[in-house]
Amino acid sequence: MSQGRVREDALIALAQAWARNEPVVADDKWFDSEALALFAEQIATNAPYARFAATHGYDAARLPLSWRDIPAAPSSAFKNAVLATFDPVATELEFHTSGTTHEHAGRHFVQRATLYDASLLASFDRFMLADRPKLRFLNLVPNPRFKKHSSLGYMMGHVSVLRGDGKTEYFLDDDRVDAEGFARALQAACDEAQPVLIAGTAFAFVALLEALGARRFAAPSGSRMMETGGFKGRVKAVERGELYARLSAAFGIAPASIVAEYGMTELLSQFYDSPESRSTELRVKVGPPWLRTLVVAAGGREVARGETGYLRHVDLANRSSALAIDTEDRGFALDDGFVLIGRDADAPPRGCSLDAEDLAALSVAN
Amino acid sequence: MRTLRDLPAAAIVGSIADAAERWTDADYPARVRATRAVMERTGYSEPVVDFALDRLFQDLTRAHLMQTIAGELGSIDALDGFVPRPDRSEVFFRGLDAVTIVSSDTTIGVAIAPLAFALAAKCAVVVKDRDDSLVAAFGETLAEERPDFSASLAVERWKAHDDPHALARFAQSDIVVAFGNDRALRAIRETLPPQARFMTFGHRTSAGYVSREALANEASARALAAAAARDALLYDGEGCLSVHALFVESGASVSPEAFARLLSAALAEAAREFPSSREAGPAALAYERRARFAAAQGDGTVYGMPEGHLVTIDPHGGPPPLLPRTLALYPIAEPAEALAVLRRHDLPLEAFALPGDARADLVTLAVRSGAARIAPPGTLQAPTIRSEHGGVPRILPFVRAIVRER
Repeated sequence: MSQGRVREDALIALAQAWARNEPVVADDKWFDSEALALFAEQIATNAPYARFAATHGYDAARLPLSWRDIPAAPSSAFKNAVLATFDPVATELEFHTSGTTHEHAGRHFVQRATLYDASLLASFDRFMLADRPKLRFLNLVPNPRFKKHSSLGYMMGHVSVLRGDGKTEYFLDDDRVDAEGFARALQAACDEAQPVLIAGTAFAFVALLEALGARRFAAPSGSRMMETGGFKGRVKAVERGELYARLSAAFGIAPASIVAEYGMTELLSQFYDSPESRSTELRVKVGPPWLRTLVVAAGGREVARGETGYLRHVDLANRSSALAIDTEDRGFALDDGFVLIGRDADAPPRGCSLDAEDLAALSVAN
Repeated sequence: MRTLRDLPAAAIVGSIADAAERWTDADYPARVRATRAVMERTGYSEPVVDFALDRLFQDLTRAHLMQTIAGELGSIDALDGFVPRPDRSEVFFRGLDAVTIVSSDTTIGVAIAPLAFALAAKCAVVVKDRDDSLVAAFGETLAEERPDFSASLAVERWKAHDDPHALARFAQSDIVVAFGNDRALRAIRETLPPQARFMTFGHRTSAGYVSREALANEASARALAAAAARDALLYDGEGCLSVHALFVESGASVSPEAFARLLSAALAEAAREFPSSREAGPAALAYERRARFAAAQGDGTVYGMPEGHLVTIDPHGGPPPLLPRTLALYPIAEPAEALAVLRRHDLPLEAFALPGDARADLVTLAVRSGAARIAPPGTLQAPTIRSEHGGVPRILPFVRAIVRER
């Protein structure tokens, strides 16, 4: 068995132990060592990432001294190259980014589903199901049966099967929310006193609330919600606080039981609101021990704690692609995690120059 | 009170020029206040706003106004009454009764040139001003020069193009002149009465061409790079005259890559005079990262820094980035390749940068590019009122030709 496979199996075992709240050794030294070893493996087998790393001065003969120095591929790299350490023909999973309004989707090939399964389940168990309830999953996310390249759909499908009560339902078809179906399902759960987990994107929740209008539900005790995704490239955005207040009023679920998950197709691990911050205004994102985040300036320099910058994630679960990913998401670091500000809108345009959005609109019109 | 119709056009032009001359003085109190207000509204630095106001008011001279009017109408006297024309009927270019000009939210003083010509034509003009009240301030100077302007010029602010006041103004207008993006222009168009003429200046971009001749030696390439940098950097590259695409001919002594390096250095130099007024946004950052990753794969080259400017060499003829302080260079073998890129992306061009002594085939390219203005590199951001604007004459839209046949 290769060294890489040994490390991968060890990470799976660590994830499973961590999920069970067992003590694990995952300190700074461990992370540094694992990250640097994985980086060395990746530049040996992932040619586009190796070429990118070379422009930062790193190759097999000259490796970074710390995980903090590992060159981060931009998330858009998944759109422009096959970032894989293996032949994608042999991929077990293939996820596509949703793409923004004007860009085509990227592809993330995952060599072994087992690692992704272990990673996502461990964090979900720790951050969403710490009290080990049996919940009914009402999902406003892509149905993995029909959207097999949606990483969010896959994740919710996986946890629903393993942690649900067997009556999971999906209420999102492309961008269309089946509000009536959802209302029937939620009412049935209420009638059965069956706690639910309602998972969905912020965009889907807004659409759901609009469709439900003034209807109100009293979700059984123990119910909770998982919000993810934000409003990238969508027309309508509302403030998160306002959204949670409206969700809470509509479904009878306390705002502290509405948890924001922060993940992306390019990462195989996820962040969640820390349990301690869920009753506070400032929600702090935390992740599993194999996922770390740096806050960097536009030029890549790490900024001081508390200073706002762009988020760079280093995910040991990204074994078969690239472990370090630069995002355009903004946030700032705290002692116990980071606060996600989200993706800034560009400043309002000035002058009379055509911008990319104008150009796209012209192309559509023509 | 007299109106402008009671005055000779030459006298009106003289007063406009005198008012403008006061605004050429950077210490003129009204200009000082306006400069601050424009900086606050747009976020541009003082040197940039000063450049814009200098360029605007230094151009509004009596000679320039007279030359333009005479060039378009044959004689300024044709604004006062019938004038003879060789082999044609006499003509009187009578100013329209009511003109409305809608400034754009994002530009500096664009309404002032059409205002000057509409007033010269003796029209009653309403201008929708912006928060900086630049047009209102200039209107006060005009009234100080000649009180008659007060009866013919109203500067107003309204929030939406469909509010009742705006609709009433549009309904009374013979012509509405509007600046803005397609969305804003469409919104205005929908409110106009069917008989009103609508003259629009929408959002556009600009391009340029660097020929083999210009790259024959490093000195000329360096000079051209300095000129192009100025075109690209002023207004943070957010003007319709800002160059976002440069086509660079291969095969010369200075290669496109070498020219890109010179251009990047020239941009850094120009940034000392016109520093960036705000951080690069996420779109620029995403573009820069994508370009750098592609460059690492051997696909194009990137020069510059995310906090400053960015120059990319695009070997595939992709769309130009259309982002602040960002410029795409396209290495090409011949002009036809440039035209193909422009057509592929359907780029609406305002100007095309080309040296005055450019080859005939390049002039043909510039004409076919759809640009309304062809100008030497380095001068793109300094258009003159003596030329047409956006392919449209300056005073003709504000007059009606009345011919008298004897």
